[in-house]
Amino acid sequence: MAFEKHRNILDYTLQTLLRRKFKNAGIILVFTFVIFIVGSIVFLSYSLKREARLLFKNSPDIIVQKMRAGRHELIPVTLGNDIMGIAGVSNAGPRYWGYYYDSGAKANYTILGISTFGLENNRMLTGRLPSAHERGVAAIGRGIADVRIIKKDIGSTLYLQDADGKWMDFNIVGIFESDSEILTDDLIVMSEDDFKYLVKMPSGTATDLAVNVYNETEIPTIAGKIKERFPDSRPILRDEIIRTYDAVFSWRSGLIVTLFIGALTAFIILAWDKATGLSAEEKQEIGILKAVGWETSDILEMKFWEGVVVSLTSFLCGIIIAYVHIFFMGAFLFAPALKGWSVIYPDFRLTPFIDFYQIAILLSVTVIPYIASTIIPSWKAAITDPDIVMRG
Amino acid sequence: MEGSDNRSGYSYEGIKAVNSEQWTVNSKTIIKTENTTKIFNKGKPDEVIAVNGLSIEISKGDFVVFKGPSGSGKTTLLSLIGCMSRPTSGRVIVGNRDVSRLPERFMTEVRRGTFGFIFQQFHLIKGITVCDNVMLPLYPTDVKPLRLRKMAEEILNSLNMKERKDFYVRKLSGGEQQRTAIARALINNPEIILADEPTAHLDTHLSDEFLAIMRKLNKQGKTIVIATHDPLVYEKDYVTLCIEMRDGRVRKMN
Repeated sequence: MAFEKHRNILDYTLQTLLRRKFKNAGIILVFTFVIFIVGSIVFLSYSLKREARLLFKNSPDIIVQKMRAGRHELIPVTLGNDIMGIAGVSNAGPRYWGYYYDSGAKANYTILGISTFGLENNRMLTGRLPSAHERGVAAIGRGIADVRIIKKDIGSTLYLQDADGKWMDFNIVGIFESDSEILTDDLIVMSEDDFKYLVKMPSGTATDLAVNVYNETEIPTIAGKIKERFPDSRPILRDEIIRTYDAVFSWRSGLIVTLFIGALTAFIILAWDKATGLSAEEKQEIGILKAVGWETSDILEMKFWEGVVVSLTSFLCGIIIAYVHIFFMGAFLFAPALKGWSVIYPDFRLTPFIDFYQIAILLSVTVIPYIASTIIPSWKAAITDPDIVMRG
Repeated sequence: MEGSDNRSGYSYEGIKAVNSEQWTVNSKTIIKTENTTKIFNKGKPDEVIAVNGLSIEISKGDFVVFKGPSGSGKTTLLSLIGCMSRPTSGRVIVGNRDVSRLPERFMTEVRRGTFGFIFQQFHLIKGITVCDNVMLPLYPTDVKPLRLRKMAEEILNSLNMKERKDFYVRKLSGGEQQRTAIARALINNPEIILADEPTAHLDTHLSDEFLAIMRKLNKQGKTIVIATHDPLVYEKDYVTLCIEMRDGRVRKMN
């Protein structure tokens, strides 16, 4: 049975690998590191994009901002009623949000005045959200709870300074837990009334307007009509936001890859070194094998198994370590560069999710070239007459 | 099945097609070279004619010695006969077949099925055990691992190497390394044993020991071909054919 032959060759390959254990261990180590870096970036950026998509799944179809001199400014709430007059719009309402700089923590928080639109789909809240007109209560992200000197929890009080410099206190009624979506970690949610009071927002204005439509396919048409009817407005489509997030995370992934280009280069040099020649000892071994009756194809099979064992071991180790790093250890190595847009970096745990297409690409750009780099020089040596190889 | 190995000759359809010509060979002749020439680096300034128009015949069961100084072409002739390289011109016939133009795969088959090689430097693989070295020629075959190991152990036993079977090669003495090389040459039960300067690194006692083993194998019917410039080898009375070489040509044959 032909199986025995392949098993014998595989046996011999494993012996060969063990014989050069330090060299092979070194290659596996470097290879694993490279796969770990690239795998981590792939896992993290893909999961972040996916997380962002989930987050925006129930967000408004269109957000309408008012623009002046190219800058976003407060929008009159009454504009919502006018937008409601456009055929196909199911509802339109104000959103109240902004940023709050905490000089103590040297961090920016996102503040949100709760209204009809927003966080009703949030699955990570412990406790509850404030209602639209409830005063002196807030729900905060775990990041804020942790960054404050005094550990905050439900029932604690959060102090914020209003636009006039006066202190407002908020009873914390809800916490967005850390294993939640990225946007909630630095978030403070309060009632619409408290928000307006905190930032001294003029009556009858909002940060922007959230618009929903009946038919998804008409979103671009309705956005066009809004723009046409209200030239100083900027309608932003949900899909555009998702695309922006994708682009941002892709860009950040690219940045990290660039930072680790040194490691990648080292690996390429290593692979190239392997590809461009065999040691005298390896050449002689091939000569001996040929002289005692191994065919060229047997030697190539041996080298193929050698490449498979080294590269697949490295690949699996690298991918497993990357998986643990991203999904169980909070991506502590790359998180600051990839996740944060605030000073608070959410200590969240991403939902484990693997894109097999990306894994397949990673496999094809690392394992296959390595196997090829193992086989090609051996093939060159193996097609030579064995006596020349042995004399050489 | 693509072909079958009957030891004394290969009956591959492919080979038949390649070798449509038939040669008249004495029924006892096992190796024949016809005007065989081997040139290294042909057409280059460092061109070397290692074997120059050589024609010899070796009969089955012969104990043959190629003698001559370094550079006389002994090793090259051995490698041509053993299907390790191809002649630049002329023919090499093993059994009834011209092997000089065989495709690589069939040359390997002939090499593995017909010849056992013993090299000057032994050419053992250092990082594996004696037993694994002996098993090497039959790894790429369908012999089961346990059977393969048993075969290797039997041969090592016959060469008084039983105790050393699990030793790494680097821990062996010169004589033990050579017996390991002999065991490796014998595992495929070859009809012809080719040895290149086998006593070059051995003292007189070990050389005699080696020759005794070769003599024993010759008595069992194996054809022995040794390339050497050691008188201890070519002066033995059981040498049936001694071919003296110089500058790639036969100087004397007796």
